Parts: sequence; C-alpha cells; structure tokens
Amino acid sequence: MIRMNGVSWRRERKEGTPALSNLSFEVPQGGFRWLLGPSGAGKTSLLSLLHVENLPTDGTLCLLDKDVTTQTPRALLVRLRQRIGMVHQDFRLMPDLSVADNVALPLRLQHRPEDEITDEVHAILKWVGLGDRIGVRASRLSGGEQQRTAIARAIVHRPGLILADEPTNALEEPQAHKLLDLFGELSSMGTTVIVATHNEALIRRLPRPALMLERGRLVQDGT
Amino acid sequence: MALPFSGRKDGLSLSEALPDRSLFILVAMMSFLAALTLTGATGARTLSTRWAGGAAQLLTIQVSEPDQPVAGASKTDKTAPQTRADAVLTDLAALPAGTQVHRLTQEELARLLTPWLGDAGKTALPLPAVIEVRLAEGHEAPLDLEQALEAHVSGTVVEHNAEWSSRLRALAESLLACAALALATVGGIATMITALATRAGLSTRRDIIEILHGLGATDSYIAGRFAWRTGGLALGGALLGTLLAMAPLLLLFRMAAPFAASTLQATSTAMPDWRTLPDLLPGDMLAGLAALPFVAAFIGWATTQFMVRVWLRRMP
Repeated sequence: MIRMNGVSWRRERKEGTPALSNLSFEVPQGGFRWLLGPSGAGKTSLLSLLHVENLPTDGTLCLLDKDVTTQTPRALLVRLRQRIGMVHQDFRLMPDLSVADNVALPLRLQHRPEDEITDEVHAILKWVGLGDRIGVRASRLSGGEQQRTAIARAIVHRPGLILADEPTNALEEPQAHKLLDLFGELSSMGTTVIVATHNEALIRRLPRPALMLERGRLVQDGT
Repeated sequence: MALPFSGRKDGLSLSEALPDRSLFILVAMMSFLAALTLTGATGARTLSTRWAGGAAQLLTIQVSEPDQPVAGASKTDKTAPQTRADAVLTDLAALPAGTQVHRLTQEELARLLTPWLGDAGKTALPLPAVIEVRLAEGHEAPLDLEQALEAHVSGTVVEHNAEWSSRLRALAESLLACAALALATVGGIATMITALATRAGLSTRRDIIEILHGLGATDSYIAGRFAWRTGGLALGGALLGTLLAMAPLLLLFRMAAPFAASTLQATSTAMPDWRTLPDLLPGDMLAGLAALPFVAAFIGWATTQFMVRVWLRRMP
C-alpha cells in the first residue's frame, strides 16, 4: 500500500520550486497504476521517492505500512528497499557480473540459501527468455536482454511493491506484452505495481487507473 | 540445476577498485619502519629498566697496587689483611647482608680490558684490582663508603653507577618517548593511506554501491566488504614488512648483545652465535613484532569501516 499526503521533494542545494510538489494519492495493496506525464514532469523523481532513494522534504509518505520520513531509522529503510523491486530506465546492472549473478543479488543480500537462489534465478531467467544467456556478462548483453535481466532482478525476490521506469523501452512488442501480463498477474496476486511509461499502446492493452504528473504536480490521482 | 555464477557475488570487484598493489607496498614499508621502531623501543625500555634496577645497585671499586701491603699496618698482627686489595675486601664485608662482593680474576680483568689494551695478560702496565659490589635490593651504598675506604687504603676509587644510571635512564626514557611518537606517526600515516585508498575505491565504485544500496544492501554489508579487503591487504603487507625487518634487526641485536651484559664478569666482546641468537631475543619484543601485522590489519579494517559508513550516510 502507498499513501502520500502533501508530499514535496526538493533536490539538495536547489532553491526555488520543488521537483515534486504537494502530492497526495493512495494506492491499495495489489493496486496497479500507470504513471504518466511529459518528460521532466517528475515521474522518475516520484519513483525514486517510492524506492526510498530520496526522502520527502515535506508531507507524509506511508509505504508497505511503514512511515517514511527523514527520521526513519536507516535499518528500516533498508528493509523497505528489500521489499521493493525497481526497474530503472538505465537498467543499472552490474557490468562485471553474469546475468545469473545480477539476478541473484537481491536474494543474496537477504541471505537466502544458495540452492534456493539457484532455483529461483533459473526459473525467472527461463521465464524472461534468458535461459540460454545466464552465464554471459551483463556488459555483453543487448539492450533488450539487459532490460529483461533488470526486470528479472526486480521480481525474483517477490517484492510487495514493483516500480518500473519505462520498462518496455528496449523490448520488442511480444516481450513488452508478456511483461505487462506478468505485472497484471503480480498485481492480482497482491503486489502493488507502478509503471511509468509513454507507451500508449501498452496503456490501451492494460487499462488501469493512472497518476498523471505535470511540472511536479499531480493532475490526476488515479481514482 | 547449477547456474554459472561467476564467484563475483556482488559486483564490487574490490580487487580492481582499490589500489591494491600500492596499499600493500606502503603498508609493508610502514610495518618495516614500525618493526625497527618497536625494536628500538624495546631496547630502550630494557636498558631503562636495567639502569633503573640492576646497574643502580652496582658499585665498581678500583684498588691501585693491590698486592702491596696497607700503609701503616702492623706486620706482627697475623689477623690483619696482608694486601691493600684484601683490606678493601675486609672493609666491604661490613656492608649490609645480601651484598655480593666479587674481585675480578686476572682472566676476567684481561677480557674486560682487551678492547683497549689487547692481550692485557701480557701488558707491563700495573693493573688495579677491580672489585664489583652488587648491593642487595633496596639498599644503597653508605654515603661515607668512599671516604672510609680512602682513609684505610689510600688511592681506592669508588665508581657510583647510580649517578650515571639516573642520567642514562632519563636518556633511555626519552628514547622510549621518541619511539612511541614514531610508532604513533607510523600508525597515523597507515590510517591516512588506508583512508585515501578507501576513498579512491569508493569513488570508482560509486555506481555499483548505489545499485547495491538500492537493492537493499545494509551499510554494514558494504562497509564490511571494503573493510575485509583493506584489512587483508594490510595484514599481508605488514607480514611482509615485519619479515623483511627481521634481517637487520637480528644483525643489530647480535651486534648489541655484548653491551647487554648485566655484570662486568659477564662482559664479552664476542658476538653471540647466530644459532643461539633467537634464544636471546626478548620475549616482549617478539610478541610486539608478532602483533604488528594484526595491529596493521585492525587499523586498515577500522579505518575503512569508518570511511565507508560516513560516505554511505550521504544516501538515505
């Protein structure tokens, strides 16, 4: 569950208008929201707040039943991040690691047993169509393969919240549709999903409420 | 089914991120210096202790013309000492119980004078009798001892080691303070080197750390990864530096061994045999040298933990 009430966020050492201003919305657990808006509207900034990479400068944010403020203990923020799966626009893979090691990272950071990690990683990579690329270094993958690896890494630990920033940019249409079906399925199974996109075809394929941002302000709150 | 995991579990690849070779070499050099300083400090402390204790209790008495009769002594009294040396020994017998009085034999005297006179046994020079007096613990020589001996056997010289020992002790303590300062400086430099290496590693791995942080890596996990790496490098470097320092240390110790004799009787110009040298090395010095690599490793580990944790504080 996500609940924002009057949340603003200002970049450090930057005066003037905040990057995000007075946002208030709620997404129930298992909810799916598109995150829409023109470039520079604040979609990535909002996702970074929801991923606890940044903390609100004003207002209250409740994520997965935990209040997130500048006073929240670091240990709690770490535990929250472990329950969130994030697909970045630039994938953010470890270039020196194999596909398998990249996908295994969230599980290893949670100290899961190695045999369990092996099973989970194998299954998810097979599902995203990278079953034959598991030993390849991430730096040698194509853009589409990197994106699928990033998606696999974001969902392998079955997070309570999935955030995706333009997750289908580098994917071909059948793969994009497959991914969208997966997100829909995860949402119906109780995972909250927020997907930022410009792809209208995707939105038409999976009609769900949308959060619309313009110049850091919410003009449509997904209700 | 097994997966082809690369063994690089988290992508930090610290062997490439940290300036491994330079950190290893610099720590080895620092440890080499520390080992030499530590040995100097041990030597200064040993001398200080000796001069504060043993040497201060020691008197050296020289009796010129030792085999001549005492001037004015009765020749008819058979119980009276016959020679000047015997007369002094008789007087010294009145010192407090527990006092050890030993007149150096001709061989001991010859060995003592060999560095200055060559084979002293063949010299034509008249040699005095040398009497070594070791006072019992807690006792001091009577203030009027020299006057009393002079009055009885004229020309007797009493050398008070206590006077010199206090000056030498002050010198040894100053050396000890300098050694402690040098060790602290070496430790400080090692800390700075580790901090700089860690900072370099952090800046080259910034993106990777941000990804790990985003995936839920704890501060202690990231700091621990860096700290074990630098701690390991420091341990290896310090081991090498300490081992390299052992060669000059053993040589120096062998050369210094003859000066460490606690009595004139034991004094010898001969250097100890290499094989017996390890038995002569002070235990506390060996313990200090053995601890050096671990202290270096701890400095590396703790400095890196601190640096990384402070750096991570910039992230929420």
